Amino acid sequence: MCQAPPHWQPLAHVLLAFPPPGGDPVIVASGLTKRFGDRVAVDGVSFTVRPGRVTGFLGPNGAGKSTTMRMVIGLDRPTSGTVTVDGARYADSPAPLRAVGALLEARALHPGRTARAHLRWMAASNGIPAARVEEVLDLVGLEAVAGQRVGRFSLGMGQRLGIAAALLGDPPVVVLDEPVNGLDPEGIRWVRTLARDLATEGRTVLVSSHLMAEMALTADHLVVIGRGRILADCSTAEFIAEHAASFVKVRTPQPGQLADLLRRSGADVTRDGDELHVHGVDAAATGELAAGAGLVLHELGLVTSSLEEAFMTLTAGSVEFAAARPAEVTR
Amino acid sequence: MTAPALTASGTAPLPAGGATLPRAVHAEWIKLWSVRSTGWSVAAMVALGAGLTTLVCALVAPDLAAGQEGEPVGAFITWGLLFAQVTAVVLGALTVTGEYGTGMIRATLAANPRRGTVLVAKALVLTGTLFVAGVVTATLGWLGGNAFLSAEGIGISLGDDGMLRSLFGSGLYMAGLGLFAMAAGLLLRSTAAVVSVVLALVFLVGNLVVLLPGALGEWLTKLMPGNAGSRIATPESFNPLLLEPWTGFAVFAAEVAVLLAVAAVVFSRRDA
Repeated sequence: MCQAPPHWQPLAHVLLAFPPPGGDPVIVASGLTKRFGDRVAVDGVSFTVRPGRVTGFLGPNGAGKSTTMRMVIGLDRPTSGTVTVDGARYADSPAPLRAVGALLEARALHPGRTARAHLRWMAASNGIPAARVEEVLDLVGLEAVAGQRVGRFSLGMGQRLGIAAALLGDPPVVVLDEPVNGLDPEGIRWVRTLARDLATEGRTVLVSSHLMAEMALTADHLVVIGRGRILADCSTAEFIAEHAASFVKVRTPQPGQLADLLRRSGADVTRDGDELHVHGVDAAATGELAAGAGLVLHELGLVTSSLEEAFMTLTAGSVEFAAARPAEVTR
Repeated sequence: MTAPALTASGTAPLPAGGATLPRAVHAEWIKLWSVRSTGWSVAAMVALGAGLTTLVCALVAPDLAAGQEGEPVGAFITWGLLFAQVTAVVLGALTVTGEYGTGMIRATLAANPRRGTVLVAKALVLTGTLFVAGVVTATLGWLGGNAFLSAEGIGISLGDDGMLRSLFGSGLYMAGLGLFAMAAGLLLRSTAAVVSVVLALVFLVGNLVVLLPGALGEWLTKLMPGNAGSRIATPESFNPLLLEPWTGFAVFAAEVAVLLAVAAVVFSRRDA
């Protein structure tokens, strides 16, 4: 769905030089639709998630991310369409927790149960040895509070326990819905590293977020959803190249001459008084062209609009609950 | 919290496993006994059931012995179960409403998406627990109450008509009532709603339908779940209208089965 990048973009170029690995699709959603009454939460969504890389599932709140993820593990029944994991429905998996590890909601927990007891019943249900419970408690750093009732846990501790539950069966597929919610910066970095490590081990990793900047750091591939529809499905690098436009800003007392020069070398130039916005030629090349023609420059620089802005632009028409004046919010 | 140095795979590969029914039962057993409400409910059942039976026998034994009460002695020997049954309703409801109320149901169905298996496992663990708790409660009540009755020369031995059946029948009735509440829980998904509705059905409606005219009132009295099911838990009854113990229990079991079947269909179709 991402076209070729319209303009040369340095960051994208570097990233594209090292394309992340991606085997055959493991999660395959096809025409997935979910209606709640007359509201369409997910509208004919098709996408695939491949192993060995982190796929970011990105969209504003209410876009249909959680509903889609609930359909992946069979909690919600699709109105139409199908979603399979490794060619089979999740419900047909003989040992589901060993096939797919899912963090769905931070509070899919009974507050009166201890962290250890929560993991122990899950382990028992899929024939996972009790020793594995201690391993995942260590892994998420909850070993010291394993005997405490989870009702006393902070949001971040609840998230860590949810991630421990997802990893309990050592599954080849990991699905994490908004895993960084409620985490402190150290916890956010930990989740990011964990997701990347899981992908490096060859697992299939699907991580949802409504935070574009977080996804840009974590995901190799993006599936962007808004109002229940897929808006983009491409590598993070392509997404950045296409949607986070950057250009060279140059000020010169001879704007007309410089503009002609740049256009002849293939650039797309817009002029505003003595200021030119140059697309398709980088800052160094612009400076060299000007120097070669003996033109004076007052200012030369690269302007990059943020990913957050790109995401806002892309999803502007698809935000479920928009603020009255969204333009002011982004400033 | 420091970043852990462990890998997600851990130290050893996991042995093969599957989400089988015995494992689902084991998981439900851990769940049941890892929340405080279970211990409290069972303790309350034993204390209420055995305690009140003992208390009422102590109070009425002299009058019964003197023949002034006009009530059958056997109706008092498991009397406390009238109140103890509240705890069976609460425990049965919490088995599912506790999960819907907290969001736990999503973890349960992620761990085992075969909802029929989950339902059977929950039912087995609940009924097993309530059966044992019911038998223990009735037995302790019989031991306590009979001490006072025997002192007055009107004791009931295990060999007497219906006594042994009543002890096991108490377990059966508690298990059935818990299952009834669990089925209602699957339909209503709220602890307060289930406890109110089931207790109103057993205590209020069950005792008020007799006011309806003629045979209608009589038959509804016989057929109400609490009336039909509880006769098996007592050697003799205060209410002469009730069905025979095993006939009544068969009616009660059928009612539980119908509600459970409806609940199972709703549970298997509904989004979690």
